[in-house]
Amino acid sequence: MTTAGKIVNNEIHLQSIHHQQTQPHQLHPPEHSDGEPETKKQEMPLDTSTYSLALLRLDGRRWNELRRIHAQINTQAAADGSSYLEMGNTKVLCTVTGPAEGRQAGQRGAKDNEAKVEVEIGFAGFSGLERRKRKSDKRTLEMQHTLSTAYSSLLLTHLYPHSTITLTLHILSQDGSMLAACINASTLALIDAGIPMSDYLVACTAASSATTSDSDNSDPLLDLNNLEEQELPFLTVGTLGRSDKVSVLICESRVRMERMESMLAVGIDGCKRMREILDGVVKEYGKRFS
Amino acid sequence: MDHFSLKRSNAPDRGNSNLSSKVYVRSTKSGKVQKIVRELYLRQDIPCSSNLCRACLDIAPKDYTNKTASFVLSDTPAGSKNFPNGQYLVPDTNAFLTGMDLFEVETAFHDVIVLQTVLEEVKNRSLPLYHRLVALTKNEGKRFYVFFNEFRQETYISRGTGETINDRNDRAVRQAVQWYNTHIKEAIKARSKKQMRIPSVVMITDDRDNLRKAKAESIPAIKLSDFVSGLENADELLDMISAAQDQREVRSKQTEVFYPEHYSISKMMTGVKAGTMHQGIFNVSPYNYLEGSVHVPTFDKSLLVLGRENGNRAVSGDVVVVEVLPTDQWKAPSTKIIEEETLNKNDNAEIEDGETITSERERKALQEEVKRAHGQSSEGKPQPTARVVGIVKRNWRQYVGHIDQGSVRSTSKSSRQQQMVFLVPMDKRVPKIRIRTRQAGELLGQRVLATIDSWERNSRYPMGHFVRSLGELESKGAETEALLLEWDVQYKPFPKTVLDCLPAEGHDWKVPASTDDPGWKGRRDLRDLLVCSIDPPGCVDIDDALHARQLPNGNFEVGVHIADVSHFVKPNNAMDKEASQRGTTVYLVDKRIDMLPMLLGTDLCSLKPYVERYAFSVLWEVTPDADIVSAHFTKSVIRSREAFSYEQAQIRIDDDSHQDELTNGMRTLLMLSKKLKQKRYDAGALNLASPEVKVQTESETSDPVDVQTKKLLDTNSLVEEFMLLANISVAAKNYEAFPQTALLRRHAAPPKTNFEELSNQLKVKKGLELRSDSSKAVADSLDQCTDANEPFFNTLVRIMATRCMMSAEYFCAGTQAYPEFRHYGLASEIYTHFTSPIRRYADLEAHRQLAAAIDYEPLDASLQSKSKLEGVCKNINVRHRNAQMAGRASIEYYVGQALKGKDINEDGFVMKIFSNGFVVFVPRFGIESLIRLRDLAAPEPEAEFDAENYVLKIKGDVQRNIELFEKVTVRITDEVEESTGKRKVKLTLV
Repeated sequence: MTTAGKIVNNEIHLQSIHHQQTQPHQLHPPEHSDGEPETKKQEMPLDTSTYSLALLRLDGRRWNELRRIHAQINTQAAADGSSYLEMGNTKVLCTVTGPAEGRQAGQRGAKDNEAKVEVEIGFAGFSGLERRKRKSDKRTLEMQHTLSTAYSSLLLTHLYPHSTITLTLHILSQDGSMLAACINASTLALIDAGIPMSDYLVACTAASSATTSDSDNSDPLLDLNNLEEQELPFLTVGTLGRSDKVSVLICESRVRMERMESMLAVGIDGCKRMREILDGVVKEYGKRFS
Repeated sequence: MDHFSLKRSNAPDRGNSNLSSKVYVRSTKSGKVQKIVRELYLRQDIPCSSNLCRACLDIAPKDYTNKTASFVLSDTPAGSKNFPNGQYLVPDTNAFLTGMDLFEVETAFHDVIVLQTVLEEVKNRSLPLYHRLVALTKNEGKRFYVFFNEFRQETYISRGTGETINDRNDRAVRQAVQWYNTHIKEAIKARSKKQMRIPSVVMITDDRDNLRKAKAESIPAIKLSDFVSGLENADELLDMISAAQDQREVRSKQTEVFYPEHYSISKMMTGVKAGTMHQGIFNVSPYNYLEGSVHVPTFDKSLLVLGRENGNRAVSGDVVVVEVLPTDQWKAPSTKIIEEETLNKNDNAEIEDGETITSERERKALQEEVKRAHGQSSEGKPQPTARVVGIVKRNWRQYVGHIDQGSVRSTSKSSRQQQMVFLVPMDKRVPKIRIRTRQAGELLGQRVLATIDSWERNSRYPMGHFVRSLGELESKGAETEALLLEWDVQYKPFPKTVLDCLPAEGHDWKVPASTDDPGWKGRRDLRDLLVCSIDPPGCVDIDDALHARQLPNGNFEVGVHIADVSHFVKPNNAMDKEASQRGTTVYLVDKRIDMLPMLLGTDLCSLKPYVERYAFSVLWEVTPDADIVSAHFTKSVIRSREAFSYEQAQIRIDDDSHQDELTNGMRTLLMLSKKLKQKRYDAGALNLASPEVKVQTESETSDPVDVQTKKLLDTNSLVEEFMLLANISVAAKNYEAFPQTALLRRHAAPPKTNFEELSNQLKVKKGLELRSDSSKAVADSLDQCTDANEPFFNTLVRIMATRCMMSAEYFCAGTQAYPEFRHYGLASEIYTHFTSPIRRYADLEAHRQLAAAIDYEPLDASLQSKSKLEGVCKNINVRHRNAQMAGRASIEYYVGQALKGKDINEDGFVMKIFSNGFVVFVPRFGIESLIRLRDLAAPEPEAEFDAENYVLKIKGDVQRNIELFEKVTVRITDEVEESTGKRKVKLTLV
């Protein structure tokens, strides 16, 4: 089966499933058609500023809690390696092709004596709030680049000269921590593919909670959803397994210098827990073969 | 493929009861419908926060620093008639919407549980109320606790099929109340075996259906009004429940509609975008309450809005959308004074039926207007007239006024009958407010604070409710508080958190003796300079001091030393926040409302004589011709040698026997200041006038004794010139260092149309010309506007010209292009406020920026953010204006009191002419007042108004022509103005 054919197949398959998922919700009458004159509601849900009222985040988590993580490994038999990962409502499917012979001999910019890591990220049209086809934009390119450099140094690429390892990521649903989810899914898929690497690369996000006008103290928050990402300054941190070694660190928002330390500490802590979860998934899968 | 299915991935969670999701649909502005799915993590570790409960202590959440918030709700909550064992209150959304004032009362409503469901709904319904509610939860004394019931497993409910969102939320509230009740019971049981009093958790709701269901489920619930009735000071509290809820019940009965319906938001937005409708702020003329104007960006001149129907329930200050009427309905702006009181005296607050929007007399008044508009040629040309079609944003605030005696049915003080009365606001531009009260008898003759709740189509006047009484009319306390409230001045004593920011040494604080002290770091020692300060007599907050000395090269060194407030007020602490809120110190005749606590303002920062103080100094090298060679800025330590009043300084300078260095320094300053002033005028600076008077009060009682116009001495302008120079120098420096965020002050050139009327008046009446093409032209032509026989004429014209100007404003450099920085009045390219940090917040910010510009200390983050600074500017602009208004109102009140019972004849000048009256200005007291035709003779005399020549020909017995700018003799007496309850000066023509 060609790579292209597989993708198409998956998409059709997944779309139908997604449809089933949303079906039950539609049974509820939509709110704005209630027809009650005194409740002409404009949705204006609480925002992140309410965190300080009871130390509860918008979805009911505390500052140091991860979202529900669900992960599966070896999900597509046809792929060399594959995984499926959910962090809350962020859902990512990852397949690994390779190590295979490079598309063209003497790839541009790549060394001959080690494998090249290629990353493709595709956003499903239904993954966001509005249905739209996302062309590969700068943001996606940057994510691809981040993943590619991170894994190039993590994987023992020198074992596979003249070859390419292709990571294909499908974003099925977006709800924050996109990059972190992509990294975690990729790690699982690469393990499934049996490509040697020195340790798990795991990632998660951390933010600094909103400060109210009358108090300056803020808590670092772990694992953000989409709403929090939009309102708060945050960073994505990826570490190597049990160690504190930071291998990916991206922060695109303005944040006060003194808050950075606590954000990083919480993020690294989150990564450790993430590793345990992923490790559990891998071991569970491994039991079948024992 | 048994090993992979996405469907199965959710399967384990289906049974997982601690994860739920929230799904809702929302429509975007562009009309798209979006479906939003959110996760909800349900948990069992959300504490009840009652001090009765021990179990919850273990699950109390810890933050990053491992701190736990202390529990909020008291273990012995107050009881009431219905719940003698004490109660925790759980109000529903409507209870907060209708009774927020009530919940804010200090003496009642403690131990309240605010449910997340309710908080969210309040936010959806009214953002201001939401902010007030959040503020309440942070007020420790009130003991409000926000319980996140939607996140707690036991209290979370999902919406049933076909259930409306309101029913679902009501159910959620009941569920939470029930859980709380059981939880508290268990908690008490666990505490001790003995029978203890168990407080009830009571739901407060006005929804009948909800009450019924609560009863069926045996959940304690009560109506808000019933609950309040059970409290001690029930009568007063009951009045504060918003009238809205009663109206809802009555609404169904009434069918008559007075006003056209407002357009929907989307319709207005489309109209505004298409250019067929216009958005602007609705302003009501202070002379004619039926005439409003809306300035819209599309046109130079404001659009007129005439009559109540066209005003369509807009209150002065609201942001409205208007639609221009067809040309045949255009009207001329009124030349007549119309006050609500005189026309609608007999309206009844209680009865609403049978009324039309425009009462018969109002309609007559309008007809006459139209006739006049049609009969005239040039002046009374019909102008674009519009009608309000919708309101974008209400700017209702709290209004101070008094109860209209005529509207009170039973004036007996003991009567507890509820009745509808009118509150007549002090602000004449605001319509009467209908208020339901049980204490009408007591409130008569008092200053009353009230708010507007709603203005329905079927009600001629807005509905409001009583907030509190300020005291007797005309009493000093009540009137002062009234004007502070009316101008939104924060006058409450500084809270403890602010006072905690003061230096611990208090009044004993001194400049450290050792120059190694960190306080000395980066400071220059200027203690040997002969510095002195010149201020108004009795001034205690001395912001500025000066010095001058000759340099060996023949030039002079001039120094302006400003109190170093930024040393004591650090950015973002409680004191800084309070100061930025207050924005400015407000000066009333007998009172000063400080921006900073007394200790700083009048002692530690104040550059008092004979003691060492921290200062921020600007040092110039100046040639004898007053040209600036160089400017230097530094933090410093100075010791002022003397604090002069303007008069003392003048006497000392004029007295040649004083030849000491200090006096000679002052002479140098005076000499230089005169040259600087001349340069400024040559550049086109304006010399404007405003009527300034000073009220002399008896020192003990501060009862006003006499009114004097302020005298201006050379020393006044001495100080002024150097302050201007310092401000300009600092502005340039700050702008150079922070081109995006420097806080500056600008004064826009007035649009030409502003001067049109005045220039026409001068041409017609005096044959003078007022050119307005540049500030220089205005300044020069104002100099020409003199009348040989009347020296005051020039001042009068200047006063009137001042009113044509725009007002100066603070702004953030990045928001305007450089040419827009210009200060028109001072003819300076760039300007800021730097010289009065004790009494103005803008100056304090400028200090911080300058300190960073000279690398004294790093700039705080708040001063680097343009958006934050813009917010600061907006606030201080409003505060500055309000402070001026409050000051003027205070003078007005005291002038009224000073003239109480007097009867004087004085000269006055006619400033403005209407068809049924005219405005006279009396320079001696700085008062301006209206004389109406009906004040002249018993039956209102006929008069002919020649608008082209500004002449009012009064016929009948009086037989007199009143012309603009004419000097008249008036008799001054005082009276209590019926419409506002203010004691005012009354003028009559002699």
